Amino acid sequence: MIRFENVGMRYGMGPEVLRDINLHLEPGSFHFLTGPTGAGKSSLLKLLALSHRPSRGLLSLFGHEVSSLKRKDLPNFRRKIGVVFQDFRLLDHLTTMENVALPLRIAGIEERQMRKDVAELLDWVGLGPQIDAKPPTLSGGEKQRVAIARAVINRPELLIADEPTGSMDPEMGLRLMHLFHELNKIGTTVVIATHDASWIERFQNPVMYLKDSTLYRSDAEEYLARFRRG
Amino acid sequence: MISVFGKTAELQLERDVSSRYLPVVISAMIFLAALALAGLFSIHSAVQDWSSAVSGNLTVEIEYQEGKALDKKVKVATDFLKTFPGVDQVRPLPIDETAKLLEPYLGRPDVIKNLPLPRLIEVTIKEGSAVNLVAAAQKLADAVPGARLNTHRPWLDKMILLARSVQILAAAIMVLVSIVTVIIVIFAARTGMVMHQEIIEVLHLIGAQDGYIARQFQNYYARLSFIGSLPGLLISVLVMQLFAFLAGRLEAGLIGAPTLMLEGWVALAMLPVIVALLTTVTVRWIVLGSLKRMM
Repeated sequence: MIRFENVGMRYGMGPEVLRDINLHLEPGSFHFLTGPTGAGKSSLLKLLALSHRPSRGLLSLFGHEVSSLKRKDLPNFRRKIGVVFQDFRLLDHLTTMENVALPLRIAGIEERQMRKDVAELLDWVGLGPQIDAKPPTLSGGEKQRVAIARAVINRPELLIADEPTGSMDPEMGLRLMHLFHELNKIGTTVVIATHDASWIERFQNPVMYLKDSTLYRSDAEEYLARFRRG
Repeated sequence: MISVFGKTAELQLERDVSSRYLPVVISAMIFLAALALAGLFSIHSAVQDWSSAVSGNLTVEIEYQEGKALDKKVKVATDFLKTFPGVDQVRPLPIDETAKLLEPYLGRPDVIKNLPLPRLIEVTIKEGSAVNLVAAAQKLADAVPGARLNTHRPWLDKMILLARSVQILAAAIMVLVSIVTVIIVIFAARTGMVMHQEIIEVLHLIGAQDGYIARQFQNYYARLSFIGSLPGLLISVLVMQLFAFLAGRLEAGLIGAPTLMLEGWVALAMLPVIVALLTTVTVRWIVLGSLKRMM
């Protein structure tokens, strides 16, 4: 489903922020992505989200080589990917309902169906009462849940989340991690970037570890053992 | 999500300070364009009036000669002209009428009548008739010494040349105004793109086509241009009416009040629509070009 072969990435003429990334994610897998600040996690997520192209190597998503995709085909591929940004990137002038409904509107889903789906999802993430609230009036945790709801409303095949539980209390963070796992159970491939080793310990999913722009893979136990050794 | 009236649902372009002054600039551009356009059509209309007034009329001038019987010469010339094929009317102008024509330039007619004035004969050509003016002038000069046929053509040619030059200048102003408008719109759209880059990125990542984003920009800027063009057009029409009133008060035969034919009014009324279309095409071109540089 997702394949990186010797992928490198740089911004403009700058140095490579990712080097020789080799990676294969099976459909329906669940991975944590971790590593120190500046190791290239956000850059790797940008490649996965089709926000940037690799500067070298082969990257294929859903069986298609990204560099060969035509510009008009990109939106359809992006609709298969849900992205939760670390800084939420909600549209402040839209209500919670409108923010979450945005991917459906863009995809041309019928209004009544869209309202029903969004209302159900907002209830599920505990934002039912805030359906007409605008982001500036929401807490950090609530904004994060709106961002997550927007990412999953389209039932994406791939869900990418950058520190999705960073602004939440532990209980809500756990609830959302369970949501990600439920989406994973119905076939969504999930990649969660996190600094929080407690989630890795709790859910025991495979770990991709970025260090010095290079990617290493391990299972949770091996990673945690190395993490504890410092 | 994009409203009919161009309000941008996601991008909120209407909150941009950068585009707030665009209607004012568009208004000024439309004011200039409308005046130039009105000039184009008014001059075209004036040239047509001059041509039609002059082309069917000739004047024969009998030179003043001391002690000669001018009235007899006038009679001979009149009779001679009436024999010409294609001539409709031949009317010798009484000396009082000639003096009246010179009154605006020389003063009192009773004094003018005592001056050595040439005698004039007004000749009207039948509509659709082809008269060989060169041959007619020669035959007349042979038959009546001192008689000269004036076709007004050299004078008209000079006036038309002047009018055409003014028309070219007006057209050049129109082109210049269009170019400046396009440049202003390009800058406004580019600024809007930079200011909303983050939201554009979000829209892209959740699957928006380039056309979806471009539509928000083009609808909004087209709306601004249309609204901005209305006061500019209104003020230009008021200025034109004021100018027509002042020109009418001159009471000069040649420079009458500028008149705009129906095509001119239609062209003026189309200006807001044209500027909105020009803005739409320009903004779409700029936004799609910029989006292509993003992934």
